[in-house]
Amino acid sequence: MSKEDPEKEPSWKSDFPIEMKRGTHVSRREFAKFLGLLSGAFALSNGFIVIRAMAFPDKPLEGEHFIVNAEEVPVGEMFQFEIQGGKHIPYILIHLEENEWRAFEQKCTHLTCAVRYQKDVNQIQCPCHNGWFSADTGEVLQGPPPRPLPQLDVAVRDGKVYVREEQEANENV
Amino acid sequence: MSNFRKSQNEAHPNKTNTIMTGIIILQILFVSIQIWFLFGALNNALEGNFYFALTTFVGSALMAVASIWVLRYLPEPLRKKPARKEKPKVSPSRNP
Ligand code: FES
Repeated sequence: MSKEDPEKEPSWKSDFPIEMKRGTHVSRREFAKFLGLLSGAFALSNGFIVIRAMAFPDKPLEGEHFIVNAEEVPVGEMFQFEIQGGKHIPYILIHLEENEWRAFEQKCTHLTCAVRYQKDVNQIQCPCHNGWFSADTGEVLQGPPPRPLPQLDVAVRDGKVYVREEQEANENV
Repeated sequence: MSNFRKSQNEAHPNKTNTIMTGIIILQILFVSIQIWFLFGALNNALEGNFYFALTTFVGSALMAVASIWVLRYLPEPLRKKPARKEKPKVSPSRNP
């Protein structure tokens, strides 16, 4: 900008003052500048979310994946699995009743704790903050989770359990 | 020699204070709204709501620009001892 003001203290001097008191003092000017910086940082991180959403959209699970043999999971039990591939998302497979299977992401939608199926009440519980999900639809029944658990479609053929990406038709039900 | 700024400062010693407070309050307001936006954008992006993220980003960027722009109006610190030089000094910016 303009020429150096001869009366102004050079910045090296004000940055490393001799007196302790001046070193720890934060003036309101500095505070205001810091707030400006903070505000810029928030805008940047918001932009980062946009870029992330644009550049790396969640890609749906492709194809069917074999999980386990049906007889290994008795009625009322849950089975944890991961799908081989890039992202390591833990899932749970629940054998609700005879021929009733459900598969959900195991990460709670609140703060990603691992949820588990509670056989006696037939619901999915998140132990961290006592969130409860319906074992049938994955909907939130109680507690802090903001969204239902993401679900996968389950198909059983020849005693083998397969999962695949949830179909749109099911979502609207 | 006294100049306009100096006499103004002497006549209204509270003005600097008020401007400063106003600017800081404005900035705190902007930053809080930005935190709110960011929080909402994070939650909504998880649900695949892309336009929410975009809108909040635009809003947040505008507020960042605004809160940096108000820094222009930060009052200069008052000099402890008046300038000894005799020639009138016109500081280069912001004086109407
Ligand atoms: S993490 Fe599941 S309820 Fe908080």
